Amino acid sequence: MVEFKLPDVGEGMHEGEILQMLVKVGENVKQDQPILEVQTDKVNAELTSPVTGIIKQIFFFEGDTVEVGTTLLVIDPDSITGSESGKQVNQTKSTDNSKESVSNHVRNDSASNRIVPSKMESSEQASITNQSHSAARKSRRVMATPYVRQLAREMQIDIEQVKGTGPAGRVTEEDVRNYGKDEALVSISQVSATEEIGKIRTTSQKATPSIKQERETRYHLKGIRKKIAEHMVKSVSIIPHVTSVDEIEMDKLVEVRENLKPFAQKRGIKLTYLPFVIKALVITLKEFPTFNASIDDETNEVVLKNYYNMGIATDTPNGLIVPVIRDADQKSMFQLAEEISSFAQLARDGKLSLDQITGGTFTVSNVGPIGGLQATPIINHPEVAIISLHKVEKRMVVREDQAVIRQMMNISLSFDHRLIDGVTAVKFTNRIKELLENPNLLLAEMV
Amino acid sequence: MVVGEVAVETDVVVIGGGPGGYAAAIRLGQLGKSVVLVEKEQLGGVCLNRGCIPSKSLIHAASEFSRIAGLSKMGIRLPEEKATFEMIEWQEWKNSVVSQLNKGVGQLCEENGVTVVYGTANFLSADRLGVETGNDFETFKFQQAIIATGARPFVPTILQRDGIHILDSTDILQLEEIPQNLAIIGGGYIGMELGMAFAKLGTAVTVIEATGQILPQLPTHLVREVNKNNKKLGIMVKTSTKVESAVIKEGQVELRVTSEKAGSENHSFNKVLVTIGRIPNTEELGLEQAGVKVDDRGYIHVDSAGRTEQSHIFAIGDVTPGPAMAHRATKQGIVAAEVIAGLSSSAADALVPFVIFTEPQIAGVGLTRDEAKEQGYNASATSFPYRANGRALATDEAEGFAEIIMDVDNNTLLGMFVVGADASNLIGEGVFALEMAARAEDLALIMHPHPTLSEIWQEAAEGALGHAIHMMNKK
Repeated sequence: MVEFKLPDVGEGMHEGEILQMLVKVGENVKQDQPILEVQTDKVNAELTSPVTGIIKQIFFFEGDTVEVGTTLLVIDPDSITGSESGKQVNQTKSTDNSKESVSNHVRNDSASNRIVPSKMESSEQASITNQSHSAARKSRRVMATPYVRQLAREMQIDIEQVKGTGPAGRVTEEDVRNYGKDEALVSISQVSATEEIGKIRTTSQKATPSIKQERETRYHLKGIRKKIAEHMVKSVSIIPHVTSVDEIEMDKLVEVRENLKPFAQKRGIKLTYLPFVIKALVITLKEFPTFNASIDDETNEVVLKNYYNMGIATDTPNGLIVPVIRDADQKSMFQLAEEISSFAQLARDGKLSLDQITGGTFTVSNVGPIGGLQATPIINHPEVAIISLHKVEKRMVVREDQAVIRQMMNISLSFDHRLIDGVTAVKFTNRIKELLENPNLLLAEMV
Repeated sequence: MVVGEVAVETDVVVIGGGPGGYAAAIRLGQLGKSVVLVEKEQLGGVCLNRGCIPSKSLIHAASEFSRIAGLSKMGIRLPEEKATFEMIEWQEWKNSVVSQLNKGVGQLCEENGVTVVYGTANFLSADRLGVETGNDFETFKFQQAIIATGARPFVPTILQRDGIHILDSTDILQLEEIPQNLAIIGGGYIGMELGMAFAKLGTAVTVIEATGQILPQLPTHLVREVNKNNKKLGIMVKTSTKVESAVIKEGQVELRVTSEKAGSENHSFNKVLVTIGRIPNTEELGLEQAGVKVDDRGYIHVDSAGRTEQSHIFAIGDVTPGPAMAHRATKQGIVAAEVIAGLSSSAADALVPFVIFTEPQIAGVGLTRDEAKEQGYNASATSFPYRANGRALATDEAEGFAEIIMDVDNNTLLGMFVVGADASNLIGEGVFALEMAARAEDLALIMHPHPTLSEIWQEAAEGALGHAIHMMNKK
């Protein structure tokens, strides 16, 4: 028998959600045949069978969240490949076919022939049963080790209130630590407009299906949401954020975009304002190197980056994801437009690979199409600045003492005050303003 | 008290140097507190001087003695003369054990900066403690106090304890000769432990128990092996029987007992041991001056940290309601010390195991099957017998079993019990497994060394999962 365990398919992931079971008990599988699809923090991966054989047991259902190392299913290898039965082979293949992060754990483990847990429950199921039973169950002892109990006391958390995610509802160390973070997140998430949109989305989605109107709905922070939460807390607690807001007159850019649209259409490209902004940003970043930088918190060193990887904050059904356009300074406007829309689609489908969401040097959050006047975006740590683009709309402005109507767009720039001062930031936005208000300059600055 | 007397200032006073008190004092010393430990008699308390340790040395001696008869079947030939037990020599050996441990505790206190004061303590107010030391009187002003004065055997007034004929558990361990016959009033664990030990040494023992079962706190099936051995050892057990009077006549104690079955009877005994319970030592401490209340049975009620209603005064061990066990007192003592030092400790959720040194031993932790069902668990009980364990057979200790209570909804362990040789040491694994919230698989999948008694846990766990190797599995 070969026990197939959930391997670590991303960088140090702890758990994954089973999106799809591609096989059934009793089914024959070939080696390397995809058997299930999991979603980890941000990556989806298809897991393939390590051996040829018959699926004997499946311990989890679609939608279950499973910890790395947990046995997902048991495969009875064919007699031909019987020699492999003493091994445990876990193979993974990222869906985007990138060569990265293919982890092969090969363990010569004679013990793998041993007894397979005869019964397993996902934490989710266990916790549901706990709740659905009568009050008698409330007197039950919380399942947690003495160390975890002590940790909870030290963190002044009532362990009875912590929902266990371990096997059969055990409260793990992580559960206790995250319990604290959930609380912290409530106040912090309200700060970020970008963040807020994703949040409202998810809650309303979850809340509507229940017909019975309960005063509160509780569900567990997990997957991408949990990762976002952790990342936001980290960012806010490390970086002293300052946000500067300005407005840009977009009339000329609107005109340029209108002129270019037919050309874009011919190539099947959807041209938004974003590629223009990215171009303007890259030009500006080259002039203001401290905005395309990070602070190494351990060594207290500033790292200036001579490459320009632009993160594009993208709303997905699961929450905020930031795909990264690499070397944006070396790409044409059309290339940028193409990459933006293909990434947005991949993000929504949850099909981004790990290297498509890491390594950014600056982030743009484009909430304009949805609305909003201004925001205080949270910087994507370890970057040092983020810019939010708001709605382009006609507003009454004063030009040469005349009230005129112009296409206006607000931008909000959050920057790390450890590295960047207010004056520099305003100079930075002034330059962007200059470039976007006079799109011809973009041409002039072209390399 | 002399007016204007200078009080010695200290962070914490600990009253009582038993397993709770000395552990608290040492922990406080480790945490950098100045601490005065007041002890009326000897460090180590009842446990070390008059309870656990002396009784276990008697029980062990009695067990060794009783095994002599079974040695011949292993091919051991002894001289013809009959083996004898000289209790007075045992006393010397026991005293050497006690004094060795005693010295050890004293040294540990010293090394951890604990000041030990021998005397009788009395609260003068909520922040002052007076200690009578022989002819002297010392006053200590404290920030916090820990009351750890323990409990003593309870002997009701109709049984006039004289220490010669009518004895408590302390007296009987001071005897210099084995009594010819002995009545034990109270078939709880102290009574049964001592009763079985004396029976092994040759005393004719009668146990009188008011409830329907000896060891009444245990489920019946855990007591069965002990009942069998009572018969083998010739112990007469009278359950549902009450003692009406005890009269000392011509060096004998005449007991009048009644039961529904047999009506009233008179029996005569050389000695009578009273083990019907213990009462907390809380009367002569001046607790009212300190503002600490006791309930109508004399117990001090505390929270999970050990705080009394006076939040700077703590109480631990047998003065608090709950099982009177040294390990509970030690845990509470360490917790109180840590809370005083500002740490977030609690004694509330630690499981309290029990060990009973009868023949065979009984030990357990967690929920029995009935308790588990009461709490709404879908619980199963699976046992594995000693007689299927190689080691148990090889050492001629094949009676008993290990029992595992499991939540069949998710295979987590709810309780572990063991009846048999060395149960007291085997239960350590049970406490650990339950505290770590282990599943039956966790016990079944780990290697237990062979040939040892510990394998019974693995087999019982495998049995609970339906695949024990060395017994037939229930389907």
